[in-house]
Amino acid sequence: MYIFKYKELISNLVVSDLKTKYSSSILGFAWSMLNPLMMMIVLYAVFNNVFKSNQEHYAFYLLIGMTTWRFFANSTMMAMQSIVGKANLVTKIYIPREILTLSVVLSALVSSILEFIVLIILLIIFGVVISSKILIFPLLYVLYLPIVYGISLILASLYVYFRDLNHIWEVLIQMGFFLSPIVYPMSIVPEGYKFYYMLNPMTRLIEMYRNVLLYNTVPSVIDFGIVLMFGIFLLIFGSLLFKKLSRRFAEEI
Amino acid sequence: MFSRSDDNNKDNAVVIENISKHFKIPHEKKRTLFENVVGMFKGKNGYEEFWALRDISITIKRGDTIGIIGENGSGKSTLLKIIAGVLYPDNGTIKVNGRIAPFLELGVGFQQELTAKDNVYLYGAIMGINKKEITKRYDEIFEFAELRRFENMRLKNFSSGMTMRLAFSTAMYTNPDIFLIDEVLAVGDESFQKKCSEKFEEFKRDKKTIILVSHSLGSVRKICKKAALLNKGKIISEGECEKVISDYHELLKRK
Repeated sequence: MYIFKYKELISNLVVSDLKTKYSSSILGFAWSMLNPLMMMIVLYAVFNNVFKSNQEHYAFYLLIGMTTWRFFANSTMMAMQSIVGKANLVTKIYIPREILTLSVVLSALVSSILEFIVLIILLIIFGVVISSKILIFPLLYVLYLPIVYGISLILASLYVYFRDLNHIWEVLIQMGFFLSPIVYPMSIVPEGYKFYYMLNPMTRLIEMYRNVLLYNTVPSVIDFGIVLMFGIFLLIFGSLLFKKLSRRFAEEI
Repeated sequence: MFSRSDDNNKDNAVVIENISKHFKIPHEKKRTLFENVVGMFKGKNGYEEFWALRDISITIKRGDTIGIIGENGSGKSTLLKIIAGVLYPDNGTIKVNGRIAPFLELGVGFQQELTAKDNVYLYGAIMGINKKEITKRYDEIFEFAELRRFENMRLKNFSSGMTMRLAFSTAMYTNPDIFLIDEVLAVGDESFQKKCSEKFEEFKRDKKTIILVSHSLGSVRKICKKAALLNKGKIISEGECEKVISDYHELLKRK
């Protein structure tokens, strides 16, 4: 397995990616938190009056939804460029190309975990009770990572051939943001559309994060199973597609 | 179909059988989904086929030093890239025995923002060498590159010569079994060049395999015992270095 043979390259790429992202300083990380916080404040100001009555702790409801979504959005957007952006490592030397995509996803994972740590500290400061349910928290990433990595593999390999994919994906991300329960409570979704609405695995995932961090409940086994199935399917499909398309990466890049 | 595997015969370094590779060169390169959709309606999807390699077979023994020569566009670099695993051929088989160090370009993956030290570890990792191994050879690498004093300097402050020296030293000390070299020997000043030549003599004594692609017949003569001549994607001469070089001169004369 390439992951074990090249584990040092992977960790090396992840660390240097994080170093450039945060410019090797604590302040760099603070800056990166500013964007989601400002966004949260704007959305809060706009929607608070609308949804206040049917959603307790609306600010945290919003913040957890957004932080969960950010891992998906950031990771897939950056991973899309992971092959094209490192053209040298594709055309001048042989390494399993999956490594380039994987290391970007892992770097986004570290960022996401850091964001959640800040979020959990805020939850504690503002008196939201954190219970033993938080032990499930790491498990949620085990569910989440295959989904993100699978989609990242698909996007990264397709982007080599179709360079306008980033514009298309940006629009889809925007749509996904509003098709998932991030800014509004799920109760406003009309009963007739619920079935289709729940087909989006992000819906279940976001709710699971809220279960653990905000509602103090254990997510249902059914949700676990469905999200895991999605993840396994995307991971297998993504890996196969990537394998097939990667044969001509060096020519197309 | 193409298959790539490890060879069990310890005498062979690289065994290539019936490798072909063609490139499709479209009249109009379509880079985006949008262009592809437009192209579907216009119906203009023409392309030229270019066969870079046709049915190449060659066995390179362990300890061989072989130069691959030929004119521009004869398929030398394509062959080297296929051995390195960068390009994927249409069909044929490749068996490789040992670890390959491709010198297709030096300093692949170097990051300007990192220090020389970090870059050595990164480059090692790219070559598939673990940290322990690099640490063991760390001193030698910097001795050879003559960059001891600069190990904690960021690479962006290095001159291009220094960068190349660092890359070359690191790559050499990763201790590969097979060297794939594409015209990158002209690194550094004369004294460094001399050191490199000595190093290559040492590799020859250690039974390392060297595959060199070059336009400079001088360096092929100097390093290689054997040679292969490529013309239009086919091997037309193979064997002792001098004989192949004279065949090459014949070929050029006939033009």
